[in-house]
Amino acid sequence: MEPAKRPKSESKSTEKDEAAAPTGTPATPERRRASRVWERPQATEPSPKLDDYRSVVGEAEIDELLCLARGVKGKTVKMVNSTSVGGGVAEMLNRLVPLINELEVVAHWDVISGDNDFFEITKAFHNALQGRPYELTGHSKEVFLRYNEQNRQRMQFHEDVIVIHDPQPAALIRARADTNASWVWRCHIDLSNPNREVWEFLRPFIEQYDAAIFSSVSFTRQLPIPQYLFYPCIDPLSDKNRELDDSVIQRVCDEYGVDRSRPIVTQVSRFDRWKDPVGVVQAFKLARKYVDCQLVLAGGGAIDDPEGAVVLKEVREAAGDDPDIIILDLPPRSALEINALQRASTIVVQKSIKEGFGLTVTEALWKGKPTIAGAVGGIPSQIIDKLTGVLVHSVEGCAYQIRYLLTHPEFALKLGKNGHEHVKENFLMTTDVKRWLLLLRILLQKRGARA
Amino acid sequence: MSGGATTPQRAPAKPFYFNTSAHLARITSFKAANLTEFLQALRECPEDSIFHHTFQTLEEHHFIPEGFSNDFAHWALAHRNEPTLAEQLASVDVREFTSVEELRSRIVQIVENFLKQDPASAAISAQQPFYFCTSDGVVLPTSFVAHNLQEFVEGVRRVSVHSIHHHFIEARLRIKLMSNDFSRWLQEDAGLTDVARALNRIDIYTATLEDIRGQMVRIIEPALT
Repeated sequence: MEPAKRPKSESKSTEKDEAAAPTGTPATPERRRASRVWERPQATEPSPKLDDYRSVVGEAEIDELLCLARGVKGKTVKMVNSTSVGGGVAEMLNRLVPLINELEVVAHWDVISGDNDFFEITKAFHNALQGRPYELTGHSKEVFLRYNEQNRQRMQFHEDVIVIHDPQPAALIRARADTNASWVWRCHIDLSNPNREVWEFLRPFIEQYDAAIFSSVSFTRQLPIPQYLFYPCIDPLSDKNRELDDSVIQRVCDEYGVDRSRPIVTQVSRFDRWKDPVGVVQAFKLARKYVDCQLVLAGGGAIDDPEGAVVLKEVREAAGDDPDIIILDLPPRSALEINALQRASTIVVQKSIKEGFGLTVTEALWKGKPTIAGAVGGIPSQIIDKLTGVLVHSVEGCAYQIRYLLTHPEFALKLGKNGHEHVKENFLMTTDVKRWLLLLRILLQKRGARA
Repeated sequence: MSGGATTPQRAPAKPFYFNTSAHLARITSFKAANLTEFLQALRECPEDSIFHHTFQTLEEHHFIPEGFSNDFAHWALAHRNEPTLAEQLASVDVREFTSVEELRSRIVQIVENFLKQDPASAAISAQQPFYFCTSDGVVLPTSFVAHNLQEFVEGVRRVSVHSIHHHFIEARLRIKLMSNDFSRWLQEDAGLTDVARALNRIDIYTATLEDIRGQMVRIIEPALT
């Protein structure tokens, strides 16, 4: 892997690090403010081995991965993205690449390089492709193509399969003519309603790939190449998701003033209007007229994002001086704390009104938590209404479901159990590895047939 | 078979090889935003797509014992709010079909009949479109081979739920019979006709695949003694 750290101005929030943002003005009461996590050493998590997952997903599942890998043993694949640190894609590749290598498929990871001007433009492309207004200029196109060309000349593509992640390096497909590889574009963003100009600029590149991969059926575009569905995944052995001793959960709750003897309703997400934290406060206040409970809003993003600070202020105003509403603006790398808060929760809410895939929902389901979430983005893929969780469309609906689940624990338990199984089957790192192995087999078979 | 086993009570004519299958979902260009488009896409989509949303989805949602039978019924209820149509679609039992084309015809017939009775509902937009997918799959061997009934039960206990799905649910399309790989082996190779029939009667729509595994073991075990 060639480390090419993204310029600071380009660091972007993704679902995986939604709550990993610097702390802002702390919440009340004071004991909730004193966050010792600032002083916690930021140790790098060791990369788990395949065998470590046997106890999580079962012997047979891992044996099937080994069997699947035998068909592509010794084959090579290169992953290319735009950053080695920060963001959901880098986090996922950090876990995925070692596991694929352990299966004796040779996986390389390369990172494109570029200056601020390039990353500013690709960030604008990223937002425009997800629907934000943007005026595409000739200069932007020229900068995008120039850096892609520089990277094309710098990189080598000797592998059997080349996987290009997201739009930033998409024009590397120009190297295709010099290779025998199968080329795949892995799109992690929602392309359902893109800025037309930007999409029309990128589309000719995308159409040259052998296949594209999307995170949800609703994120796709009409393309003349095969489009595969790879759900985003979580790692059950990461600090964010691994099992925790009850003492750890208790310590975190004590630290933030969360009372475990009473029901806890939690939303974990950035202080962002699309996550509707004010709506969550309103729903909580409606529900609490009938049921005793506390609300924990755990997020981040208020310091480096001016809009986040505004939203946090609005949330605090909506909460008023209610002692049962605990607002936590967590610092970066609070994965363990988020894990503990999710595990301590009676119900998890993700009342988004616009969403990517919604990995905080995946995390909650994995922990067996009855989950109430907005029916947007990739959330309906995870929450099958009334079977693996509950979908809502309004503050009032959210309030009612909080009341219902708190007063119907057997139903809540069933949702949590089904939700956990749904994640185990479809949204874990091991399933992601399986999808990659399958795709390699399919692509290599096709290439063999062509040859 | 890995793990060894005791001498069988019967000597099957040939061993049972436990396989499994793995599938990768592929998104097609067929999409339906209302029931008119839904019907048209049902008629025109690839056979693999019908397979994916009926047989395959049972595997993807194998942990839900009730209320989930196929993606078409789920969409009709959750995104098009048509409980009658949803119930009718949910009543389609994949075990009654040995070809995907027969299954497609039945689903198309249900939607056609519904729209005849309620033509006004045809153009009403769904909350979310139905995206037709297909599956690209591979069949893989497992390490389990049963030379006798004892080893067979052990295999059923230990293989993945994907292997159970492969032999018990997917199989009928492959063998074109109203049966499954397990029952077929039990009947034809182990001579256990009653056990084979009992296995084939397990209700896949009211049990999880893990439940089905447990029921199978309970049905076969008495034959060991």
